[in-house]
Amino acid sequence: MAGVEPRDARLPNITATTFKRGVLAGRLYLIIGTVVSLILTFSLLRSAHGSTVFATTFPLEIPLFASLGAMGGLMVFVSDRSKGVLEYLIAYGIKPSRLFANALLVTIGLSTIVMGLALAVGLGGYVASGNTISTDMADSILGYTIPMTYASSLFAAISGMVWSTLSTPRVGVNSPVGVTPMLGVAPPMVVLVLAESFDKAYYYYVTAGAAAAFLVLVAVLLFASTRLMGRERFLSPM
Amino acid sequence: MSTEISLSSQNSPMELACKDVSSGYLGKKVLDGVTFSVREPAIYVVLGPNGAGKTTLFRTIAGILEPYSGSVEIDGQPVGLQASRDRLHFLSHVDGIPDGLRVEEALRFYASVQRATEADVERVLGLLEIEPLRGRFISELSAGQKKRVSIARIFLKERDFYLLDEPTANLDPKVATEIRDLILRLSRDKIVLYSSHNLFEAREIGRYVIAIKSGKLALFSRIADLRPSRYLIGVRVTRGEESLPAANRKGEYYVFELPGPEEVPKLMAELQGKGVSIREVKEMANPLEDLFA
Repeated sequence: MAGVEPRDARLPNITATTFKRGVLAGRLYLIIGTVVSLILTFSLLRSAHGSTVFATTFPLEIPLFASLGAMGGLMVFVSDRSKGVLEYLIAYGIKPSRLFANALLVTIGLSTIVMGLALAVGLGGYVASGNTISTDMADSILGYTIPMTYASSLFAAISGMVWSTLSTPRVGVNSPVGVTPMLGVAPPMVVLVLAESFDKAYYYYVTAGAAAAFLVLVAVLLFASTRLMGRERFLSPM
Repeated sequence: MSTEISLSSQNSPMELACKDVSSGYLGKKVLDGVTFSVREPAIYVVLGPNGAGKTTLFRTIAGILEPYSGSVEIDGQPVGLQASRDRLHFLSHVDGIPDGLRVEEALRFYASVQRATEADVERVLGLLEIEPLRGRFISELSAGQKKRVSIARIFLKERDFYLLDEPTANLDPKVATEIRDLILRLSRDKIVLYSSHNLFEAREIGRYVIAIKSGKLALFSRIADLRPSRYLIGVRVTRGEESLPAANRKGEYYVFELPGPEEVPKLMAELQGKGVSIREVKEMANPLEDLFA
């Protein structure tokens, strides 16, 4: 039996191509997510001096805009599904789980761009205006902002992918791509509701726990989603 | 129903075998006990009404769908193995071209998936008049141009088996002819399974027919061996129309029903005896039409 042939190193890697396409497809979302989060960051910075508003609010806003800015991953997946690209890739030996994982990797990359820029500008501006980053603020960023950014973005993306896989393709606001940005709100909402029910001392356990729970949910959906590939509706979108 | 048919060629070591294959979508059975094997390089036209299971058959052979029971094998190896997949090309009825890429980038993407080379991309750009499109985004192409790019990917790398699901659908006649010619050339030493709704095209290029009806193999035969249920001959004449029955006229042709092709010379002699000058004679009935009856 012949072995698997090597890939020409000069040709593009599938994941890298998917990322490039994700940036292109989701560029408007990326621009809106980045710009709005930076506008909010600048407006919070203006009131930062001598105030706790920036330290308490800034870490909370980032995940919402990061999940909005990371829509490119889902958009590439939905487009590839409706155009038969996924079916083609499976026929040539790409595992279905890799197709979902590729879209999630694009989501991680795009949400990192939004979050990274917001953190760099926000924290840089905060320190440059003579403030110091408190332990509480650092805890907030490490315990809430970063895990919630990925939990929100990945949860929104995988929900949209599963929904797209189960449904007839449609466009507009009533489509997975149209509705999914709202789903990115779910993890922060859960945290806000739960945080009210627990003592402040447990706040970071609640946020980290919620983020972890959503990431586990993403993993479960990713695992389950590969089975959905065998649906006729998925393979025969037209 | 399961029909055991095997066609073989002395010279070719290639074999694609469907063994009692039942397949479908998450429990919904579409194919039911399909058995056949092909070894001879040729075009095998896969025919059947809409919903018969042609696309499901292609997807199962391509390893996209795993059979519920039975197996698909290439030279005795399951089609799910990467080494088996590397011997197949699959062209679905949708274009399968990724958005957001230029034509050249899309072909490089396909080449990467197929483990072809940069040189293969350059060679294929010269095929099917794609070279002038290389820098254009896929979204800027017409439907016909997209189809050409889509088809070009099966020429990136030579393989033994080609599964082509309606490759010439929605193409203008010039491009369709060009693609048929390329596929005919391929079929000299490759096995091509070719699905089409165009019965004239099927008869023109196919050597064998695989008919699927309600998920079952209804027929596997040489097309040349098929006989239509009614043998109809169309005669176009330049002179002597007054000697022919007006009721037989169908467009430009006078149609005659004969017991079989052996009666054609007798009919010709009879018409010429009546002073009819014959311009063209053709078979009006396509034996493949009966497969849809």
